[in-house]
Amino acid sequence: MNWRLWIDMNLPITISRRDAIARFGGGLGTLGLMAALPGVATALPNAVASTKTLPHFRPRAKRVIHLFMNGGPFGPDFFDPKPDLTKFAGQRPAGADLRTERPTGGLLPVPFKFSNHGKSGLPVSDLLPLTARFTDDLCVLRSVHTDNPNHGPALLLMNNGTMTPRVPAMGAWCSYGLGTENASLPSYVVLCPGRPVRFSILWTSAFLPSQHGGTYINHSNLDPKAMIPWLHNPRTPAEEQRKQLDLLAEMNREHLASRGGTDAALQGRIEAMETAYRMQFAATDAFDISREPAAMRELYGKGHFANGCLMARRLAERGVRFIQVYYGNSQPWDTHNQHDEQTRKLGADIDRPIAALLGDLKQRGLLEDTLVVWGGEFGRTPVSENGNGRDHNPHGFCMFLAGGGARGGTSYGETDNFGFKAVENRMHIHDLHATLLHLLGVDHEKLTFRHAGRDFRLTDVHGNVAREILA
Amino acid sequence: MNHLRHIWSGLQTLVLLGALPMAAAQTLPATKKPVAPQTPWSFQPLKESPLPKVRNDKWPQTPLDHFLLAKMERAGVKPAAPADPRVLIRRLHLDLTGLPPTPEEVEAYVRASHGSPRSPESYKSTVEKLLASPHYGERWGRYWLDLARYVDETASWLEKTSGAHLYRDWVIKAFNDDMPYDQFVMRQIATDQMGFPPEDRHALGFLGLAPTYWKELQLPPDIIKGTVADEWEEHVDTLSRTFLGLTIACARCHDHKSDPITAADYYGIAGVFASVRHAEVPTMDDKFWQPVKKARESVAALEKERDELKKKKPAPADLTNQVAVIEQKIAGLKTNTPHFNMAMATGVEDAALFVIPAGNNKGTVLDFKPGQSRDLELMKRGDPNNTGDIVPRRFLAAFPAKDGQPRRFTTGSGRLELAQAIVQEAAPLTARVIVNRVWKFHFGRGIVDTPSEFGPSGEAPTHPELLDDLTVRFIRNGWSIKWLHREILLSAAWQQSSLAPDSEKRDPENKLFARVPRRRLDFEAWRDSVLATAGTLDRSFGGVATALTSDKNRRRTLYGTVNRHELEPMLRIHDFPDPAAHSASRTETATALQSLFSLNSPFLLAQADALAGRIEKEASAELPARITRAHALLYQRPPTAKELAMATRFLTGRETDAKAWSAYAQALLASNELAFVD
Repeated sequence: MNWRLWIDMNLPITISRRDAIARFGGGLGTLGLMAALPGVATALPNAVASTKTLPHFRPRAKRVIHLFMNGGPFGPDFFDPKPDLTKFAGQRPAGADLRTERPTGGLLPVPFKFSNHGKSGLPVSDLLPLTARFTDDLCVLRSVHTDNPNHGPALLLMNNGTMTPRVPAMGAWCSYGLGTENASLPSYVVLCPGRPVRFSILWTSAFLPSQHGGTYINHSNLDPKAMIPWLHNPRTPAEEQRKQLDLLAEMNREHLASRGGTDAALQGRIEAMETAYRMQFAATDAFDISREPAAMRELYGKGHFANGCLMARRLAERGVRFIQVYYGNSQPWDTHNQHDEQTRKLGADIDRPIAALLGDLKQRGLLEDTLVVWGGEFGRTPVSENGNGRDHNPHGFCMFLAGGGARGGTSYGETDNFGFKAVENRMHIHDLHATLLHLLGVDHEKLTFRHAGRDFRLTDVHGNVAREILA
Repeated sequence: MNHLRHIWSGLQTLVLLGALPMAAAQTLPATKKPVAPQTPWSFQPLKESPLPKVRNDKWPQTPLDHFLLAKMERAGVKPAAPADPRVLIRRLHLDLTGLPPTPEEVEAYVRASHGSPRSPESYKSTVEKLLASPHYGERWGRYWLDLARYVDETASWLEKTSGAHLYRDWVIKAFNDDMPYDQFVMRQIATDQMGFPPEDRHALGFLGLAPTYWKELQLPPDIIKGTVADEWEEHVDTLSRTFLGLTIACARCHDHKSDPITAADYYGIAGVFASVRHAEVPTMDDKFWQPVKKARESVAALEKERDELKKKKPAPADLTNQVAVIEQKIAGLKTNTPHFNMAMATGVEDAALFVIPAGNNKGTVLDFKPGQSRDLELMKRGDPNNTGDIVPRRFLAAFPAKDGQPRRFTTGSGRLELAQAIVQEAAPLTARVIVNRVWKFHFGRGIVDTPSEFGPSGEAPTHPELLDDLTVRFIRNGWSIKWLHREILLSAAWQQSSLAPDSEKRDPENKLFARVPRRRLDFEAWRDSVLATAGTLDRSFGGVATALTSDKNRRRTLYGTVNRHELEPMLRIHDFPDPAAHSASRTETATALQSLFSLNSPFLLAQADALAGRIEKEASAELPARITRAHALLYQRPPTAKELAMATRFLTGRETDAKAWSAYAQALLASNELAFVD
């Protein structure tokens, strides 16, 4: 089915997000009701104290979907055309600073063709023909830069805001700061069909209360029971389990009453038990993309990334605060060899799912308050490595934002003539984080947590909001 | 609203505020911030004060009670009633050993207390029995391991941690032996320089298990220097927060604004860690180690030779024969070298590290100089590529030695001198910090409630005189942790009930200690309680960690594998701290993922089956008898009439159905009563 056809078909959408919340929150026992209400986390009172004042101002985005191209794509392949790469192919022009960490050769031209799209006329390459139809929703960042050309530190800086692996991930900060819209589901979900080269540290809660850590889901097996630990009881039927939980709840209420009746920690655990009961069904539903109509499955396409994008939409719809979709096991975008060939395949693999996700969110009215972020931990070099590969490049690379209050149909910042270093409106990862938090209604300087004698925050002591890209 | 009315009404409340400096401070206009750094209270010498006078002189049992009661009386808050003997015996067992008492232990204790809440002799003897139990060290050792960011395993590409469990077992034994705390501190930093036998090198795990970060040596030195500086910073951070309750690591970038810790202080200590390297160290004397070392080198060379031979193309005609000869040699070396499999402790050895460019100017070399040491240059804003003057290795200037100068570290890396300074020049601080930690683990709240932050950004002590009094006597009693336990456990304060509506209302944060707060068991104590009550607990001590996910793992939770790279989900969801950093206290959350574990995990289902089987075996067939036994095993008390009725309703009609009994047992195990201690 082609894209246009889908738009025309105007697929029937069964439930809206708000309906969904009402559906999963209602009629399932009064004890759990509190926990099912939007924004009510089932943490003990000391665990959520500092976030009462949030959001700091009106949020444009309520949730984030981060499409993470681990390994690092090369911006000029997609959104940042650089004709000079062809003009000086194989050369290292005098005066150009192209020094890289590893031995590299001359400039490697980009074989992909660019054309202008949408009303905005932003250039997008022929790697992304379907995504290009949403050009006017894209806010292309061309001048992102990071501090270290190694995967480990760069992954940490992108995901945790510092290269030292001891601090919470940005998703954990968002969950901590903004709580959850649906307490029957984890507030921060990481979808990865395998594992990146740094693992759970990339979604850790570190010193924040542990419920804010990312729930890692390996969706290479699409059975929800395999994705979430202990989601399914191997032997007790739901009816018997409900009876058992009723007994447990009654015992717990007796216990609570004999202890004065107001202990928040006891209440919290009672509520969590009911939430867990519901989660068995809510999560089974949320993570189960087989419940999507066949046409919708077809629309997103096949493969792990398509599945991840579709799952991300289901989670966004159900109020999960922060969703990351890692592209593949390990780091598929790390193209040290045969860069063009690999990128062609990768581009083909992400184009349809991204377009489907944007279109799907848009049609459901969710793109308005869902911020979609696309990009890797760094970029790649304009000069060749191993003849036809590209090395890591932390000095300047491309990302895009869509929806959630990011200004569509614009590009921000520039790299030099070769797409190597960010030169105009440079955007450090700290600036990116500050901007993401801003769109979520959070002042990045005020979302702090006292630990080890000082107030930690996602952006450490840095970060400027890029106001030009706010819609 | 009630709360506000309460704050602002009545003379009594004003008195209460006066007794609570922290709360009071918030209601007063902010005082002007001092410009110059002030000496924090915790840097002052220890002060002894006379026992405060109290009106209710029948209440105090140990000196600390006088301090607490005096303040309660000033605030007009009465101490809570003594805890019921059944509550107290459960609290005591879990507190000291992390395991619940058996029904028989409970009944014996209740009988001995003759129904009166206070029974000094049997209580005292129970305290002694539990302090002497080897399970005591497992409970209190695990607290220490949180501070020491203990791990069994890390990522495969980082430094080895094969001797981790030796450190864990050393810590457990040190607690069981009541090793004087000053010794305990010093040996973890420098036992190899203190003349102890080589097996004590297990203690060096405190340093050896520090996180290391990947260093890609193809990159230029200016990047690698940053990674190395981060490792030094982690060392300084964990050392200073664990032993001194100070966050010195922020001084990597700048002088502290509010206390007298300077960047020079930071680099003075960081130099020690620039002069050590991670090492797997032998645990036997040199006369045994040297032959082992030689044999291991030979084995490694032979293995390499064998592997290369196998790869050779074309393969030699007599490959099988050649390989067999080499393998025979290897086997010979292994069997004929005494102690060939000698355990290696994960520790450190002295060697100065210089990060230098590789010869061809492509990449970096980590140049370790064994036996040498180095002083670091001060890094401006913490940047290793923007350095200033050299800072000689030395202790904090705020704690000068007798000559008025901070102790210089001149012998080797300076580890021993650093250790000495911590327990000598900084003794008042070091001792206050551990006394407060022990107090906080017992009471759930510290006298200083930021146990690793005794600087000005931490909380002020609620009872400074009490903390000093305990600390002075702790030092006088040979830095004995068990002495400290007795002082606290024998106090009237610790034996109070957790039910105290008046103090809960008037002092919600329990700054007066006029009750013992109800507390959630940490994951270790909870899982161990489940195993113990189900009758399946494997009580064997020590050794290599085993995966908690294994169906066969019935060992105490602290022997479950902790992997820094990939923390076991069971631990992660249950508030186990991130083992990449010192953790002063655990956060407590109640999440749906935890409850899913209680509802559906094979572990809990198996324990429910075991508990159901145990109840069947240990009680007669009638429902009430079995339900009563279950409550005795789990909750140390008989069921109430209502509980009996609920359980009967659940089980009636299927009294012989094993599945129903297991479902019942699981509900008991998943209950709040098992997960909390009053």
